[in-house]
Amino acid sequence: MNLLEVIADGFADVRTHAGRTALQTLGVVLGVASVVGTMGLMAGERQQSLRYYTESGGVLKVMVWPKTVENVRSSAREMASRGLTLDDVEAVRASIPGFDLVEPKIGRTLLVRSARASKSYYITGVAPAYADLHELQVERGRFVSQDDVATAGTVCVLGADRAREFFGSEDPVGQNLRLSDHLFRVAGVLRYREFYWNRSDSYNALGWMNEVIVVPVTTMQVRVVGAGSRRIDEIGLRLASVKTHDASVPALQRLLTNRHRADDFQVYDRQDRIQQMNQQGKVYDFTFLACGIISLVVGGIVVANIMLASFTERMREVGVRKALGAKGWHVFVQFLVESAIVTGLGGAVGLGVGVGFVHGIAYLLDQTAVLTPAMIAAAGLCAGSVSVIFGLYPAVKAARLDPVVALRYE
Amino acid sequence: MSEMLIELGGIWKTYDTGEVAVDALRGIDLVVERGEYVAIMGPSGSGKSTLMHILGCLDSPTKGSYRLDGEEVGHRSAGRLAVVRNRFIGFVFQNYNLLPRASLLRNVELPLLYGGLERERRRIRAQQMLDQVGLGDRGKSRPNQLSGGQRQRAAIARALVTEPALLLADEPTGNLDQATGGEVMDIFDALNGCGQTVIVVTHDPQVAAHAHRIVRIVDGKIAHDQETRAA
Ligand SMILES: Nc1ncnc2c1ncn2[C@@H]1O[C@H](COP(=O)(O)OP(=O)(O)OP(=O)(O)O)[C@@H](O)[C@H]1O
Ligand SMILES: [Mg+2]
Repeated sequence: MNLLEVIADGFADVRTHAGRTALQTLGVVLGVASVVGTMGLMAGERQQSLRYYTESGGVLKVMVWPKTVENVRSSAREMASRGLTLDDVEAVRASIPGFDLVEPKIGRTLLVRSARASKSYYITGVAPAYADLHELQVERGRFVSQDDVATAGTVCVLGADRAREFFGSEDPVGQNLRLSDHLFRVAGVLRYREFYWNRSDSYNALGWMNEVIVVPVTTMQVRVVGAGSRRIDEIGLRLASVKTHDASVPALQRLLTNRHRADDFQVYDRQDRIQQMNQQGKVYDFTFLACGIISLVVGGIVVANIMLASFTERMREVGVRKALGAKGWHVFVQFLVESAIVTGLGGAVGLGVGVGFVHGIAYLLDQTAVLTPAMIAAAGLCAGSVSVIFGLYPAVKAARLDPVVALRYE
Repeated sequence: MSEMLIELGGIWKTYDTGEVAVDALRGIDLVVERGEYVAIMGPSGSGKSTLMHILGCLDSPTKGSYRLDGEEVGHRSAGRLAVVRNRFIGFVFQNYNLLPRASLLRNVELPLLYGGLERERRRIRAQQMLDQVGLGDRGKSRPNQLSGGQRQRAAIARALVTEPALLLADEPTGNLDQATGGEVMDIFDALNGCGQTVIVVTHDPQVAAHAHRIVRIVDGKIAHDQETRAA
């Protein structure tokens, strides 16, 4: 088949100017590598954030906290704010659909004592749903139960670090722990949790889960705060689904504003955070991708440039070939073989360099590298099309060249 | 097979350079029979090269008819002209025009590649041609490793490898000294002796003297057309 012969001739031709081909290949390598590199780094960053959010309770978590009012310009009403109350919780439960969990939290710092240690810690009074809300996992024993809440039972659940602190290597479950003046039985111990943003990061973003001491919310209210108080420190809510977010969260805001008639609370909404993060991510992605594409285009232009330079150098040659009977497509194929080699080789090496680059940078910055086959394919495709386009132009130009003009060319 | 290899009738070639249109050829009538040995002479800018390009099907005339081996080829598409060049015409240029990076053998093979001949037969045929011009042992050399005369001999081998009906040479001795130029012309003489139709464009009366017919071109027209020797 003649086409194969012509392709073979193209290959033979490329071998005779390896230096030029190497230069062109380098152009493609740089382009592809930068696209793969930027895409990989961006994806790694994003995936890490998403992992954190799922590990710490997912995107459905909504928190309401009292805002400390200390501004001198605050209204009298705000100064007199009673903060969040159990009545708020009831009101939300009664009138706002779209949340499947609405739970109060009351916390106090108390002196904690066991045979081993004695120290003041913040004790958290919660309902059973608290574990679901924050993705707390029980290692041994059980979490605070509905029964505990109903009876204001004197039980507690310890984070892994606290368990070790107060009980060492003994099994704390079933043992007694003194909180202030009251004796509590340890019902369960939480699983040790960790999440580091970077590999060299010493800050464990889930560390608080290891440091909690949890008791039933009612126990906290009755035995510590005083039965008459309705004040709470936090409302934890969980959206029934992502879809209810847009209606329920503003409704929650409105309800609380109406009840308090003051700006004395704040709603922390992960949906917003994640949307914001995605938005930011998009901007970054776009910027980085634009950089990648620019370098790819630059790479392509390098290819086209060298092609064109070699083209003027080879103008005479094209004329000679045509005089000897080369048709347009012979010349076209010959030029295209060159750019195909450049693209194939440059693309492959570029992918390799890009992947290496991502892992290298990830290692240096202690990030997680993420490279999906789809991304690699996309980058390869990008590079392929760019250099085909840039390779096609000189090839078409050469194929169309008038032999007389080419032969006259000095 | 027609006795008339070339029949040009009223050939005009006009170069439209934008502002002025240059009439490089202004009504050329020329008939060349098979086996003729023709020299085309004329002052610089008279249109010799332009005529060569049209004879060699590198270019189409603006006006007029060109019958090559009995077939009208004056106004064919670029692709079909490429086929005509490949089958019927061998070119020899003043500056050899060998592909600088390719070996002599590859240079000589090239027309056969475009003609669609398979690899093995290409090799054999190209080697034969190199043998004929006395470069049989230089097949692997690059053109820049050869002298001017050797290069021109390689170019002749390449021009003849497809056994074309017409050998066209534009100032084939222009870059050579007298002795090597003479050697090249001796090859042409020998080829013509075997029946090869040869057309040579030249300034040099000594070169023209090898031919059997001299066509003089002035200002794009044939001024003289004269047999110098019985063919
Ligand atoms: N591509 C072109 N565009 C415009 N004018 C051209 C072109 N090619 C040739 N000419 C003009 O046509 C005329 C004939 O040129 P041609 O090259 O055929 O002359 P020539 O007889 O071969 O001259 P020389 O002996 O110097 O090689 C000249 O006036 C030249 O300027
Ligand atoms: Mg000329």
